[in-house]
Amino acid sequence: MDFSQFLKGLQGIVGEQNVVYHADDLLVFEYDGSVDRRLPDAVVFPGNTREVSQVISLAYETGVPVVGRGTGTGLSGGAISPPGGIQVAFTRMNKILEVDTENRMALVEPGVINLHLDTRVRKDSLRYAPDPSSQKACSLGGNIAENSGGPHCLAYGTTTNHVLGMEVVLEDGSIVNLGSLARETIGYDLRGVFTGSEGTFGIATKIAVRLLPVPEAVRTFLGIFPDVETACTAVSAVIEHGIVPAALEMIDALTIQAVQNVSDAGYPDDAGAVLLIELEGLSDEVCEIGREVEAALWDTGATLVRTAEAAEERQQLWVGRNGALGALGSIAPNYFLVDGVVPRTQLARVLGRVADISREYDIPIANVFHAGDGNLHPCLLFDERKEGTLQRVMEAGTAVLQVCVDAGGTLTGEHGVGLEKKEQMPLVFSDDDMAAMISVRDSFAPDNTLNPGKIFPDGVKQAAHGQRTFPGMPV
Amino acid sequence: MESSLSDRLAGLLGGSVVLPVGEIEIDEITPQAVVRPVDRLQISELLLWASSEHMSVLPRGGGTRSGLGNVPRTADVVLDLGAFNQLVDYQPADMTATVEAGMTIATLQERLAPGGEFVPIESALHGRSTVGGVLAVGAGGPLSYAYGLPREWLIGMSVLGTNGVSTKSGGKVVKNVTGYDLNKLYAGSLGTLGVIVEATFKLLPIDPQNGMLLASFPTLSDSLAAGRKLIHSSASPMGCHSVTSGVSRRLQDSTQAASQDLGLGDEDTALLFAFFSGRSQATRRRLEEAAAILLAEGADAVQRIEGPAAKGLLRWITDAPPLLSDDSALVMKVSVQSKSSAKTSAECSDIVLFGEKPQQMADPGFGTIRLFWPKYGDIQSTHSMEPQPIMDTIQQVRQVVARYEGSAVVEQCPITTKTQIEVWGDYPDSLAIMQSIKNRFDPNGILNPGRFLGGI
Repeated sequence: MDFSQFLKGLQGIVGEQNVVYHADDLLVFEYDGSVDRRLPDAVVFPGNTREVSQVISLAYETGVPVVGRGTGTGLSGGAISPPGGIQVAFTRMNKILEVDTENRMALVEPGVINLHLDTRVRKDSLRYAPDPSSQKACSLGGNIAENSGGPHCLAYGTTTNHVLGMEVVLEDGSIVNLGSLARETIGYDLRGVFTGSEGTFGIATKIAVRLLPVPEAVRTFLGIFPDVETACTAVSAVIEHGIVPAALEMIDALTIQAVQNVSDAGYPDDAGAVLLIELEGLSDEVCEIGREVEAALWDTGATLVRTAEAAEERQQLWVGRNGALGALGSIAPNYFLVDGVVPRTQLARVLGRVADISREYDIPIANVFHAGDGNLHPCLLFDERKEGTLQRVMEAGTAVLQVCVDAGGTLTGEHGVGLEKKEQMPLVFSDDDMAAMISVRDSFAPDNTLNPGKIFPDGVKQAAHGQRTFPGMPV
Repeated sequence: MESSLSDRLAGLLGGSVVLPVGEIEIDEITPQAVVRPVDRLQISELLLWASSEHMSVLPRGGGTRSGLGNVPRTADVVLDLGAFNQLVDYQPADMTATVEAGMTIATLQERLAPGGEFVPIESALHGRSTVGGVLAVGAGGPLSYAYGLPREWLIGMSVLGTNGVSTKSGGKVVKNVTGYDLNKLYAGSLGTLGVIVEATFKLLPIDPQNGMLLASFPTLSDSLAAGRKLIHSSASPMGCHSVTSGVSRRLQDSTQAASQDLGLGDEDTALLFAFFSGRSQATRRRLEEAAAILLAEGADAVQRIEGPAAKGLLRWITDAPPLLSDDSALVMKVSVQSKSSAKTSAECSDIVLFGEKPQQMADPGFGTIRLFWPKYGDIQSTHSMEPQPIMDTIQQVRQVVARYEGSAVVEQCPITTKTQIEVWGDYPDSLAIMQSIKNRFDPNGILNPGRFLGGI
C-alpha cells in the first residue's frame, strides 16, 4: 500500500477533516516539551475507541509505527513521532464521561485536560490529586503514558496510585480492559505496569481514575532562606517531625532572579532560596502541624516566613513557583530540564555537585524542584542558536544524571525516559533488567510498532530474557 | 534406586540447605524437597537447575497463605526464603527502607519503629508472614481504604528470574518513572514470575494518636450503610469494617478482646469497626464526629476505644480472616466498587451452604467482602463434604458479583472442590497478555505452576 492509499484509508475511518498530512500543518506536531524533533507523516484525530482501533489496525497492517499524542507538553520526547510514523492525537476525545461521587471515580477520555477534570470534580468537593506543573494543558492520556507526578504527589502519590482501570487499544487494533472499577482485581496488575509505559504497550482510550475528597483546610508556608543548603536543612527538619506535607517545593537564587525579572513575586532581593510547604487536612491538624512547620523554618535559619490559608492568598505564595519555568526565558531563550531524583538526604550535596557542573560546563543552572521527594529539576539555561551549545548542554545534563545515580538516585522522577534519556538507561539498569522490561512490552506489543525507539538504548539486547540460557551467575 | 530429589539438591546446593519436608504440604500435596538457601547464588542455581529439569519450585515465606491459588500442577521443591531476613538499608530521613524478602512484617515494623516510621502494609499473622509473601499475594487489610494495597508503597525490587539472573526494578527513591514499573507486575503475581529476594518501600511517620469506634447495629446492612456515611464524612476514618454476629461472637471469645464489653445484642447484631489516627486533637475530633454520625445512622451503641486496646482490636480484625477460616468450609473474597458493597453483601447474605448463611467481614470504603460458610454440622474433615453444593454456592456468589462487575476469589474450600474449580473466577479479557508475560518470564512453567488464573 502506498502512502496516498494509506491516507485515504485513514480518511475513510475518521473523515477527511480529521487527518492532517501537509508539511505546514504538521509543523506543530514536530515537537513536544523536550529538545527532540521529528515530523510525523500524518496526524489522525479519532473521535472514539472504534476509530482509534481501526486507525491502529490499518497502520499495523501497513507497517506504519504509531505514537499517541495528548497535548504535547511531555518533557522527554515521548510524543515525538517515530521515523515514518503517524501520530494519533486525542484532541477530539476530550469528554468527561462520568463522575461517580458515590464511588469517588471519574471515567474520562484520554484527551481530557488534567485541570479540567480537577475543576469539574471540585464542584462535588472532590479532587483529582496528581497535578503536574503543566496541568492546565496536559492530558490524562499523556499522564497515564508518563505516570506523571506533580507537587502534591509527595502526599498522594503519582498517577499510578490514582488509576483504577482503562480501556486500551493494542498495536493490532484489538481492545482490552485493564484493571477494574473495583480496587482489587485478579491476575497480574496490567494497569499498573501499563501506567508509565510511555505509549509502547498500547493506547488508552478510556481511563477510570480515583478521586479524593477536598481537604477541610489547606495552609501554605513560604520560607525565605539565605541559600539552598540552609533550605535543605529545613526540609529535613520538617520530615524529622514526622510531617509529610502535601507539597514541599524549592526554588534557588537564579530562579528567584528570573521570577523577579518578569513579575514581582514579593521575594526579598537577598533571597537565596524559597521553600514552599503546603499542609492539608482537618483544620485542627493543619493548625497544630502548621505551628511545628513554622517553628522548624525559623529554627533552621529562615529570614522570612509567610503563611496563608485563604485560596487567593495561597495562590499568591505559589505564583513564583508556578511561573518559574516560564520566567527562565528572561535569562536564556532555551532550557534543558533534567528530572533526576535522589534520596532526600542527598539533596544538599547533590545540589552542590550540580553547581560544580554549572561552573565546569559554563552553563547557568536554575533549580526548581520537588524537595519533598528528592526530585530535582535543574534547568540548564542556554541559547540553541549558539553553535555547539546544545551538545555541551546535553553533556552537562548527563553529568548531572550521573551525580544523581551515584547518590543512590535515578534518571527521571516524573518526565519519563522517552528519547531524551534512553541512552542513559544503562547508568541505572543492566541489560538483564532491561531485557525483563522488554519482555513485558513484547507481551503487549510483540511487533513493537507503538512508539518504537523510545526508553531503551539503541542496540540493547532485544531477546526475551526468560528464553536465554545464562552461563554465568548474577548478583 | 534413583537418589531422592533431596539428595540431588544436597549435591547441588550443599547438604545444610536441604531441610526435612516435615509437615509442609500445599493443597494436600507433600513436596519432594524443601530447601532453605542462605545466599542468592544458591537460589539462582536452584532456578537454573529446575528450569532445565522441568522441576516445579514453590517459593515460601511464612506459609500463612500457602492455600491461596489453584491446586499446583506439581510441587517438587519448596523454596523457603526464611534465611533472607535482613534489613538492608534504612534511612529514617529518607523515609525508605530496603529489606530482604524473608523478614517478617512484624520484625520489619519493629525495626522501623525507632525511626518513628512504619511501612503501611497490613498482614494477618504478621509475626509469621513475610515481606516477600505479602508482596506475592498483594492484598491489603482493614485499613486498605487509607493505605491501599502493598503496590502503593513498593518502590523497588530485586527478583531472581527462572534463568537464574537477578534483575531489579524501580529503585530507592520515592518517585521514579525510569523504565517500566515492573514492581506493579510482581506485586500480586503469586510468585509466578520470579523469586522476590529484596524490596524497597516508601514509609510513613507513625501517627501520635490512634483510636477506634465500635458500634453495634441491628443488621449488617445498617452497619454498612453507616460505614458508607462515615467514609464520606469529614471524620475521615482510616478504614471501616462491618462484621456479622458470628464474627463478633468469635471476637468476644478471643482472649485479646476478653476485657472489652462489645455490647452484643441478639443473633442478628452486626458490629462496625472504624479506625482513626493522626494528631491528638484532630483524632479526638474525628472520633467525636464519627460517633455522632454512627448514632444518627441508627447504631444501638457506640464505644470509643483508644490506645493499646484500639491497637489490639485492629490486630484482631487484621488476623480475623485466617482465624475464621479455620472453622469454615468455604471462604470467598469478593471485591466490588465500594458503593456496591452494601448491596453485594446483602445479596450474598442469603446464599446458603449446608443450610447455613455466611458470616461476613465487609469493608464499605474499599469494597472488599469476605464470606465464611461454616463447616457442616459435626463433620470435622472437609474431605467428606460433597463438592457439588459448594460449587453451587460459589457459582451463586459469582452471579451476584458479576452484576456488580467485581471479582470473587475462593480463598479456601475442600480439596475435593478445589480440584474442580478455577479459584480466581471469571477471566479478564487481558488473560492472553498475562499468559504471554508468564511464558516469557518462566518459559518452562516451573514457578508455582497452575496456581494462578488461567493455568498460569
